[in-house]
Amino acid sequence: MTTSQSVFEAGEHITLAFELSTPTTVSLVCHSAYGTTIVTPNYDLADALFTLPENTSTKKGILDFKLISKGTSLYNGSINIIANTKNKTSLESYIGPPSISAGTHDYTMLVVVPTDSYDNPIANNTPVSIKHQFLDDQKEASIKTNDLMAWKTIHSDKKSGRILVSSTVNAVSSKEFAVEVFPSQPTNFTIDYHRKHTYADGNQITTFTTSVIKDTYGNTISDGTLVDFTIKNQNNSLLKTQGMSINGVATAFMLHPDHEEIWNVSAHINGMATSNTITINYKAVTEKLPVHFSNANRRISIGPLQSFMEQLIPDGAIVKLTITKNEQILETKLKTTANGMVSFDLEKGFYPPGTYSFIIEALGLTSIHSNIKL
Amino acid sequence: MPIKTNKYLISALILGITLHGVSLFFTLETTYDALIHLCFAEHYASHWFEPWNYKWYTGFTVTGYPPLVHQSIALFSLIGGLKFGLFTVAFIAILLFITGVYRFSLLFTGDRKVAGYAAIAAVFSSSFVETLHVFGQLPSIIGISVLMHCLPEIYLWITTKQYKHLLAALSLLAVTITSHHVTPIFGMVFFIFPLLGMALMDICRKNVNSYKEVSFSLFLNTFFKRFKAILLFGISALALIICCILPYWINTKNNPITQVPIPHGSRDNFIEVTSSGLVFFIIPWGILLIVLPYLFYRFYSKRYLFFGLSFSFLTLLGTGGTTPIPKLMLGENAFNILTLDRFTLWASIMALPLFGEFLFRFIEGDLKEALQRKFGSVFHRLLGGFLVSGIIGLFIFSVNLSYFKPSQPQKIDILPILNFLNQDQHDHWRFLPLGFGDQMAWLSAQTNAMTVDGNYHSARRLPELTTRAVERLENSKFRGIEGLGSLQQFLSVPEKYHLKYVFSNDKFYDPILYFCGWQRLRQLENGIMVWEKLNIKPLASILPKDDIPLFQKLLWGIVPVSTLIIVFLLHFKRLWNRVLKINPLPKANYLNYSISYIKFNPQIISFSLGWIMLCIFFLGLGSYKFHLANATQISPQNVIAAYYDALDFKEFERAYSYLNPKSHKTKDQYMLEIAVNDGLLSSYAKLDAIKTKLISQNDSMVKVSVNTFWITPLERIEKEYHHELYKLNNKWFITPSDYDLDLPPDQLFSVNTTKFYNHGRRRITSEQTHHEDVLKQPVLEVLSSKLIQFNNQYSIIGQLQNVDDVPADVVVNASLYNHSNNKLASYNVMHQMKHKLLPKEVTSFRINFEGIAWNKNTDKGPKTFNPNEFTPALITETPVNFDLQCAGNVTNVDLYKSVVLQDVTITDHSINGILFNAGLQEVTIPQLLVSYYNESKQLIWVTHHFLPEGIRQQRKQFFSFKTPNITGLNVLKNTTENTFVNGLPNKALTEKIDIGTKYKSQKQDLIPVKGKGFSYLKIALNNYVGAPN
Repeated sequence: MTTSQSVFEAGEHITLAFELSTPTTVSLVCHSAYGTTIVTPNYDLADALFTLPENTSTKKGILDFKLISKGTSLYNGSINIIANTKNKTSLESYIGPPSISAGTHDYTMLVVVPTDSYDNPIANNTPVSIKHQFLDDQKEASIKTNDLMAWKTIHSDKKSGRILVSSTVNAVSSKEFAVEVFPSQPTNFTIDYHRKHTYADGNQITTFTTSVIKDTYGNTISDGTLVDFTIKNQNNSLLKTQGMSINGVATAFMLHPDHEEIWNVSAHINGMATSNTITINYKAVTEKLPVHFSNANRRISIGPLQSFMEQLIPDGAIVKLTITKNEQILETKLKTTANGMVSFDLEKGFYPPGTYSFIIEALGLTSIHSNIKL
Repeated sequence: MPIKTNKYLISALILGITLHGVSLFFTLETTYDALIHLCFAEHYASHWFEPWNYKWYTGFTVTGYPPLVHQSIALFSLIGGLKFGLFTVAFIAILLFITGVYRFSLLFTGDRKVAGYAAIAAVFSSSFVETLHVFGQLPSIIGISVLMHCLPEIYLWITTKQYKHLLAALSLLAVTITSHHVTPIFGMVFFIFPLLGMALMDICRKNVNSYKEVSFSLFLNTFFKRFKAILLFGISALALIICCILPYWINTKNNPITQVPIPHGSRDNFIEVTSSGLVFFIIPWGILLIVLPYLFYRFYSKRYLFFGLSFSFLTLLGTGGTTPIPKLMLGENAFNILTLDRFTLWASIMALPLFGEFLFRFIEGDLKEALQRKFGSVFHRLLGGFLVSGIIGLFIFSVNLSYFKPSQPQKIDILPILNFLNQDQHDHWRFLPLGFGDQMAWLSAQTNAMTVDGNYHSARRLPELTTRAVERLENSKFRGIEGLGSLQQFLSVPEKYHLKYVFSNDKFYDPILYFCGWQRLRQLENGIMVWEKLNIKPLASILPKDDIPLFQKLLWGIVPVSTLIIVFLLHFKRLWNRVLKINPLPKANYLNYSISYIKFNPQIISFSLGWIMLCIFFLGLGSYKFHLANATQISPQNVIAAYYDALDFKEFERAYSYLNPKSHKTKDQYMLEIAVNDGLLSSYAKLDAIKTKLISQNDSMVKVSVNTFWITPLERIEKEYHHELYKLNNKWFITPSDYDLDLPPDQLFSVNTTKFYNHGRRRITSEQTHHEDVLKQPVLEVLSSKLIQFNNQYSIIGQLQNVDDVPADVVVNASLYNHSNNKLASYNVMHQMKHKLLPKEVTSFRINFEGIAWNKNTDKGPKTFNPNEFTPALITETPVNFDLQCAGNVTNVDLYKSVVLQDVTITDHSINGILFNAGLQEVTIPQLLVSYYNESKQLIWVTHHFLPEGIRQQRKQFFSFKTPNITGLNVLKNTTENTFVNGLPNKALTEKIDIGTKYKSQKQDLIPVKGKGFSYLKIALNNYVGAPN
């Protein structure tokens, strides 16, 4: 072998020369990262010159070769091809996950894969500069590549926001990556309510709001977080409403009850945070349930139902009439008011003459009329 | 004497091409089958020698249908596109049919004039019209037409024993075989056998003076003399049938049709199901019905005796399920596979020569004379007018049948769908069209994307499809429980089929899609809604197929077209001669057997007239009965039925007409009240059954309770209504019900909400999505998961929470394992979960292990339609372990959470309450998700309830449901050990969530109840918004 150089850079023109003692047909079997290939020589006087093909000469790694003549091996050797340092380095970088939560325990990881122009990993311990910016903070760190890549974990801070990350190798820069830092778990909060009036008219809407809900580190929780409101009424039933947060405040709605009621309301974010309990009283709108029989008792008119200022109750209040005969319930009729009035007609065809009892319920009030003759 | 061109035949051809050609472009594409043939043709046009097609049914073989017609369309499509090919072949079919009938009639009657009349009759033949313009069965038409061309050659072979005729006959038979497989098989029995009989009869006739003298012994004698010729033909024909479409037979043997039979109208009882009777009996027979006596009289003359028998059998078989005879004759299996309308088609075609003869005798023959002599010429003319108007009327009616009784949805503009599939690699997943009708075949013909559905049901392979009588998933709503059950399986476990996109042309399917966890992507320009499912992997680039040997592929690709070429080579000279009359043709010997029409049997005239009277009588009777059944207001039951029928068909004006006119409800008011109703019942339901019970009554007043049963895509709903009815002027009227007078508090109101948008791919590029554009999968936490045994069924229940900061679409899959960790069953969550979760939202879920319904063909599905019906998977071993695979994906739609639980009242067996919609969207279908807990507040059961009515903004809605009895419920395993979220163990995720801040308060919203087997319950709400704004 006449070539003395044993280390080449990828992409270099690699020619291996051998001096043959006797002119004979030889070939070179090369085994490299690319695979195994046979190279045929150009003869120059007594020398056999082997020019490695480009696909082999651009691959980093150790190349073993064997000079062969008619099936017998004449010479073994190897050369080392290293990454190209002259051309521009190219950079692949990955970051993930793209969103983490605030509070120092969660992190994302940046992986940088700097390669030479032939896609060979560049030499170990090449410095990689990693910069990241978060709020007013801008940090820079230098790490070194090791076996193809360099990587760094970036932990979240206590604040939520957006981390921008970039990296530089051999004056080549990556593009900008963004990592979203979401707020951490919500903490306990307080709730409040607003309503147009204090009466149980079954028509107006009570609005519940939370205080600005913060996470453990004082960040406002993410928009869209669901807050459940649980309402315990006098029957020990649990009613439920919910709201999604905007700027940390969740708003939920509830229709006023249609009868005197006390609500105990609390809110919670499932398994994570809870609120104080507030008590809301709803006053009855009226004490009066006027009932009037006419048309030989076959028409029962209820009303005018009046609200708290003696105005007619808004349309749609439910009036329930239960008709019984001999303590047997014959029928229950439901109607809604129009202009404060409801009337029930009892047709002869369906209610033959006799004695009936009627129970009328509306707005939480009950009026019983026994032994009415039809 | 040189033979003149038959002017009747020429007229028939001109008439045929003109009449059918004019209408063909409006009818063929809306037929049942034409587009399927087109899709097959597209396959041959692009892969001539490859019989495997990936587009339908996760792959199927096209060797399941004889290829000649499809290959011909494919060849023509190379000139002018697929539709050009289709129409060209259709025109060829028309020509072949008319000339075929002419040749068959000529053979049959031996009279060129009569054959000409028959050719004209063929143009107007209503069975031909129906097969072409309504069913679009091109192969069937071409098959029978070529068979008719073949018949004279067979006759000549038997009578003359010249090999050129045998060759000609066999070559034509080969074309028939490669066009349509059923035609030659039954054609052998019903056309060729009687033809042989007739040929023998004619040979006998030569030896005696008249047909009357042909005795049985003579006939038998002749038969043995010609036995060799017959045998030679028979064996060659059989060999052709086997060889020409050998791959078809091999495929049939390897993949026998074991599927559950799909109901077909031609198997109905035509008297019970009058619509089937019309389509499969009245229309194909058409005007032939009134000449039936003449046909039978002529068919049972001695020469035609064998045809007479064959004709009788065909007629009988064509009556389908009206009598049990066809089923007995064919056997259960064949009866359920064959469509029996083809027998009627063949019978009516077989009758054409004799109908031609009848027309000839009526128009210019002895019948005319007899009629004129007996009743005078006016009667003859009137009768003629009646006959001709009948023929033309039926022709027009059957060509335009799809106008009177639309069988297909409106024509869909396919282009936007094709564009969608081609964009952004959407064709890397399978798609499913819903509500497309047979246009799905046209869509498949134009795209490379694949669908799990398909339109050639004999080729179905997935057990989910073959075990049910479901023609297509696409029209599953017409197949009741089985259809929707099948569809539900595909929609619940779409990842199994790589099914990501659904194109919905029918909003009926929207609720089922939503509650199975699908989401709307967008509406295309043609109005088709695209639904997508997240978390579906794309198809692998190499898909499995059932390969067949090379020789079969070559046979399939080469033989059919070769038969066509051979026929052309063999017949070209004679065809040339016949058309242009250059050299006189040798007179075929069947022309010797024409009879002279001298004296028309007067008894037949009287009998026929009587028969016509009878027909008219039955027509009148039918009309009268129809009227009676539709007299809507003669009884309270009738008016209730009519009222609900009108509501069902959204004919509100008709519904209004049944309301008491004295009730002061104006039509405007009524329409308005109807218009503001939305919900499962008013928008997605079909009335299934109605039961009216009189509660109290006197002469003019009735109070009824009406139990209505509605079918919706989600479940069968039973709803009870109460009505009062009054009688006015002998008509019953319904008193209109009161409507909700509730007034919302605010005229205009505002609500602040958070909305989300996901860009998906931020760069406009066809490359893979950049990794930084891929959002992190939201982290879910499974709070609990349990294996439950209840009522001999296993379920997995549990609770999970979206602990991330972004809204998540959630997919949950559970598998059961036995003690040796073998998988027993696997299924996804269907309705019993909120599929879309806001940050920190919790949902309960329940997974039922559904098997493939009616696994065995012997299992009978229920008669009535119940989408709620559930077939538990057959789990023979006791499951001891389970795993749970949950996946979250960022979503930004269907996050409406503004419905609140306004009031709850608990009674012993039921929960009643009021919902209130406080937000800005109208909720179409509210769903209650009820979780049940034991005394130690441990989740033990989950149920769901759909509310039949929607909730408008700021309105209330009442609900009520019965609490279940779950005393026998058994918690087999309670662990989150084998639970994985986005592929990671649940435990690791739980640890990652900051434990320090975790507040344990999950159990504070439980309502205490005294239930059977449970102590607390929780009600959660899931809302389907049909039209988000």
